[in-house]
Amino acid sequence: MNQPLLKVQNLSRHFGSGATPVRAVDDVSFEIAQGETLGLVGESGCGKTSLVRTLLKLGPATSGSAVLDGVEITKASGRELHELRRKMQVVFQDPYQSLNPRMRVDRLISEPWALHPGAVPKARWREETVKLLESVGLRAEHADRYPSEFSGGQRQRLGIARALTLDPTLLVCDEPVSALDVSVQAQVVNLLARLRRERNLAMLFVAHDLAVVRHVSDRVMVMYLGKIIETGPKQSIFSAPAHPYTQALMSAVPTPDPRLRGHRKRIVLEGDLPSPANPPSGCRFRTRCWKATSICAEQEPGLTARTAAPGLLTACHHADAETGH
Amino acid sequence: MALLEVKDLQVSFDTASGRIFALNGVSFSLERGEVLALLGESGSGKSVTASAIMDLVPNPPGAIDRGSIRFDGAELLTLSGNERRDLCGSRIALIFQDALAALNPVYPVGWQIAEMYRIHGRKPKGGVKKAVIDLLTAIGIPDPERRARQYPHEFSGGMRQRIMIAMAVALEPDVIIADEPTTALDVTIQAQVVDLLATIRKRGDAGMIFITHDLGVVAELADRVAVMYAGRIVETANVFELFEDARHPYSLGLLASQPRVDTDEDELVPIPGSAPNPLALPSGCAFRTRCPRAEGLCAEVVPPLETVGPGRQAACHFPVSPA
Repeated sequence: MNQPLLKVQNLSRHFGSGATPVRAVDDVSFEIAQGETLGLVGESGCGKTSLVRTLLKLGPATSGSAVLDGVEITKASGRELHELRRKMQVVFQDPYQSLNPRMRVDRLISEPWALHPGAVPKARWREETVKLLESVGLRAEHADRYPSEFSGGQRQRLGIARALTLDPTLLVCDEPVSALDVSVQAQVVNLLARLRRERNLAMLFVAHDLAVVRHVSDRVMVMYLGKIIETGPKQSIFSAPAHPYTQALMSAVPTPDPRLRGHRKRIVLEGDLPSPANPPSGCRFRTRCWKATSICAEQEPGLTARTAAPGLLTACHHADAETGH
Repeated sequence: MALLEVKDLQVSFDTASGRIFALNGVSFSLERGEVLALLGESGSGKSVTASAIMDLVPNPPGAIDRGSIRFDGAELLTLSGNERRDLCGSRIALIFQDALAALNPVYPVGWQIAEMYRIHGRKPKGGVKKAVIDLLTAIGIPDPERRARQYPHEFSGGMRQRIMIAMAVALEPDVIIADEPTTALDVTIQAQVVDLLATIRKRGDAGMIFITHDLGVVAELADRVAVMYAGRIVETANVFELFEDARHPYSLGLLASQPRVDTDEDELVPIPGSAPNPLALPSGCAFRTRCPRAEGLCAEVVPPLETVGPGRQAACHFPVSPA
């Protein structure tokens, strides 16, 4: 494999100090290659958003490293951070809150160029703005409007256009289609797929909608209570996951096919998510896992390769055991 | 006679920018023992339909302009306030989407479930306390005696939604309306709640109206589906027919927009454009501005909901041919 675009090693983000900090992200390592889309899934409170915020340097890392294109994100400041922001951009979940309602679209789009002189000369701002708007499926005349004049789907297109102004190499998408209706969601998903092809963009795609993640990702990473518990090519993660939590997660997704009703094996998890301030010893999933034995309470399982599925890494002591649910 | 029959219901709201017609003549019926899904996107009128049945349309600014809602043979819209309140909660119950907002934060959950019996003057066999504990057990809350004394904030989102469901089924209603009961929940918790609702529908012969935008949940739970768009029902069909052989272009568009978790599709086929502004609905068919099949007639005449097969209807001048 070529040098990865983003290399994250042992990254942690803890909140609060003292004896029991909340370990929102705990010792996480992964890579994203140029032009690759990595999906990140997990339920509320698993640490997805904390991880994203740490990578974007919207919050400090507690420990560990994240290197984008040779630059250490966690230590960057000043000029270096300014340059880093050119290379990684973000599309937020809520297109109603992430666009300044008092700014006209032309100013919203060109603001990054004002902050990064040299990116696009001022004389070409209008021309480039129109080009960008058209590339996300909007029209030239939209440049003279305010965000309130757009529908939710159009606002998300604006959010994407703005994220692309500085021609980033990594686009972090934090639940980019969750606020949209199904019919419009499909438009934005297709738009992201096209932009990614045209621009060879790498994406970290965070979403709780597993079907959307399967559609857009090359590889997928599953988080549980601050840890990555399984990662691999999307076909393996969705069709033959080895981690019990991933299996439960996949079995819970309702399939839009009434003929499958009652024919699918559904794994219903017992209990609720433990507190990230006081996670279970050893494997964090063991308190809800039907395969758990004494070793799970004693030793934390590391991500290890599965021989049966190339590229699949699973953090489970019993991933190979065929003990059905 | 249908258990619940809604006919030509029109509901409007006064807003600062004009009058919005949230429902433009909605008709459907619900039989005993059946789960009818109201499927639609934001603003299609699903929740307003539930509010109208439960007498929860705020007036002003809202008003039921015309139509009829018959329950068990009686017209609800002409009942007095007291008669209507007696029915709501006891014979027709609503499960709200946001359990945290719907539960009272300053009373224990057991007290709130017991309120159902107190308000409707019911004396369950074995006493109210036993009934509450039995209900909590039935919805899968461990340690019900202790949990009954706890407050809503001490429960997880999924458990709070279960408590809402317990309140709704406490008096064994004939009609249960579930308004997006799983939308705010994580997928594993959603699966638990869907299973619980499936168990409840098997237990009695209540009819259930399930309001959702999630095609997956519809496929899991519904017998029949009514697809809504811009305040109208555009198609009704049994759940198998809808997924395999939809007739209305909007229903087909929705199905093609939905990625699947069990296969890899090449590209999604979205519906172009976005939902129309309710203050300026297109003339004729409200879907025509996004419809690949639209012709001149669609701008002139509102297509009526017509029978297109046994037990199924579509409101389209140019419905898709049978598969």
